[in-house]
Amino acid sequence: MLNGFLGILYREFSVYRRKAAKQILASSISPLLYLIAFGYGFGNKVDIGGMSYITFLVPGLIAMASLNQSFSIAQELNITRFYFHIFDIYLTAPVPPVQIVMGEAVYGMFKGFLSAGIIFVLAFIFGVKLIINPMFFPAIIIHTLIFTTLGITVAMLVRDHGDQATVNNFIITPMIFLCGTFFPIDRLPVIMKWLVYFLPLTYSSKVIRATLTGGAVDYNYLLIMSGFAIVFFITSLLAVKRVEG
Amino acid sequence: MEILTASKLIKSYGKKTAVNDVSFTINVGDFIGLLGPNGAGKTTTIKMLTGLAKEDSGKIFYNGINFKSDPIECKRLIGIVPQNSNVDRDLTAYENLYMQAILYSIPVNERKKKINEILDFAGLIEYKDKQVKTFSGGMKRRLTLIRALLHQPKILYLDEPTVGLDPQIRRSMWELILKINQQKSTSILLTTHYIEEAERLCGKVMIINNGKIIIEGSPDELKKGIGHFVLEEFVDDAIKEDFFETKETALNHLKDCVNSCKIREVSLEDVFIKLTGKRINA
Ligand SMILES: Nc1ncnc2c1ncn2[C@@H]1O[C@H](COP(=O)(O)OP(=O)(O)OP(=O)(O)O)[C@@H](O)[C@H]1O
Ligand SMILES: [Mg+2]
Repeated sequence: MLNGFLGILYREFSVYRRKAAKQILASSISPLLYLIAFGYGFGNKVDIGGMSYITFLVPGLIAMASLNQSFSIAQELNITRFYFHIFDIYLTAPVPPVQIVMGEAVYGMFKGFLSAGIIFVLAFIFGVKLIINPMFFPAIIIHTLIFTTLGITVAMLVRDHGDQATVNNFIITPMIFLCGTFFPIDRLPVIMKWLVYFLPLTYSSKVIRATLTGGAVDYNYLLIMSGFAIVFFITSLLAVKRVEG
Repeated sequence: MEILTASKLIKSYGKKTAVNDVSFTINVGDFIGLLGPNGAGKTTTIKMLTGLAKEDSGKIFYNGINFKSDPIECKRLIGIVPQNSNVDRDLTAYENLYMQAILYSIPVNERKKKINEILDFAGLIEYKDKQVKTFSGGMKRRLTLIRALLHQPKILYLDEPTVGLDPQIRRSMWELILKINQQKSTSILLTTHYIEEAERLCGKVMIINNGKIIIEGSPDELKKGIGHFVLEEFVDDAIKEDFFETKETALNHLKDCVNSCKIREVSLEDVFIKLTGKRINA
C-alpha cells in the first residue's frame, strides 16, 4: 500500500545514516556563528519588544535553519535526478506520485526538525531561556512541510543546477533575511513590509517566535501557513506528475 | 499472446521529433532487438514504454491494460536496465535490491531470501555489503540487471546493457540474459550497438532510424531481403558493396573487379548500412 513512500524513506535514510555525523556538524556551524556574531555582538544591549536580542534571534535561527534544511531537499533531488538518475527508479516503479512526494517530504521535514533540535542545544549552551509552548510542534511541522514541498516543486521544475542556484539567490536568501528572522518586519520600509506578507516565512517566523518566547500565538497566521503548505503540496504533486526522466 | 502493444508513438523535444510514429507488439517469450544509430530514438521509445517520458500521442497496452489509465498495474510487469546506470552509488548492493523489493511490494518475509538468491545468481553475493561506488563497471551492470529481475517482470527492457564492458564480461552478461529469456520466458526488448550479438540473440530485430522503424523481421529474413552474398570492392578509401542472391553470381562479378575485392556472407550490419546509409558504430 505504502510501498512507494516506504521505499523512498528507506533509500533516503540509508544514505543519510552514512553522512549524518558530517551533516549535523555542518548544519551546526552557521547557527553557531550567528549566535556568536549577533548574540555576543549585540547581546543584552539591544532590546527588541521587551526581550534581549539573543532571545529574539534564537527562534529566528530555528525558522531559518529548518527552512534551509527542509528546502535543501531540492538540491538533493537535483543531484539524484540529473547526475545519478535515482529519481528515474521512482518514476518507473509501480508507485503513485503522491507517495513520492510524501516520502521526500517526510525526509525533508526530518532534516528540518533535526536542525531545529541543534539550535535548541546551542541555545541551551548559550544560556538563552526559551519558554516552549506546545503549539511550537504543529508550527514547526507546518513550517518544514511548506519549505520541503516548495523544494520538491522547484527541484522538478528546474532544468539544471544553475537554475537551482538562481532560485536560491533570488527567493530563498532574500526571504531568510527579510521575513522577521533577524529583526522585526515593522522596521522595514512600507513597500517591503507589504511585499513580505506574500512570503510564507513571515508567518512562520512570527508563530515560531511566539511559541518559544511566551508570546501570543496568532492562529490566523497558523491558518495561512497551512494554506501555503497545501498549495505547495499540490504544486509538488503536479510537478512530480509531469516530470520526465 | 501479446504482452505489449505500442501503437503510433510520437514524441518530440522542441523541434526534434525523437520518435515518429512507432508501432510494434511484443509476445510472451519474445527476444527482440531494437537497432539504430546514435540518436535514432531507441532510448526515447523505451522511456515512453516505461513511464519516464510522456508520449505526444499514441497508445501503449500491457496485457491489454492501457498504460495511461493504470500505470501502476502495468509497471509491475516491467523490468528496466536503463542506458544511464541508476544503481545507487551510496547504497550497498543489498540495499539497492532491498529498496527495489519495497518499491515493488515483495512481501517482507521473502525479501531477504530472494535478494540473496539473486545476488548469488549474478555472482555478487560476496560483495553484497559493499557500497556500489566501489564496484567495477561490470559488477554495476550485473547488479542493475538483477535489480530489474527481482520482482520477476514479464517484460524486460535492456538499453545498451553491455556497453563499455570487456568481451569476456559481455559474453557472461549475454549468457545471463539468454538464461532469463529461456528459463523464465521473460520477454526482452534489447538495444545494442553490438550488432553481431543482436543477430545471435534476437528472434526478431527492428531497425529504427530518425525516429521511424524502417524494417523488422528475423535476422535471416532481413538478410535475405538484400541478398546472401556481398562483393566488397575497395575503391580509393571507400568500400563499394554489391549484393547477390548466390555465390555464383557474386563470383561472376568478381571477374570484373579492377581493385582488390572480397566476397563474404551478408550480415545484419549490411542490412543496416543498406537501409540507413550509416554504420551502427559510426
Ligand atoms: N531530454 C531530451 N531533450 C531534448 N532532446 C532529446 C532528449 N532526449 C532525447 N533527445 C533527442 O532525441 C533524439 C533521440 O534520442 P535517443 O536518446 O532516443 O536516441 P538513441 O537511439 O537512444 O541513441 P543512442 O544510441 O545514442 O543511445 C536525439 O536526437 C536526441 O538528441
Ligand atoms: Mg539510447
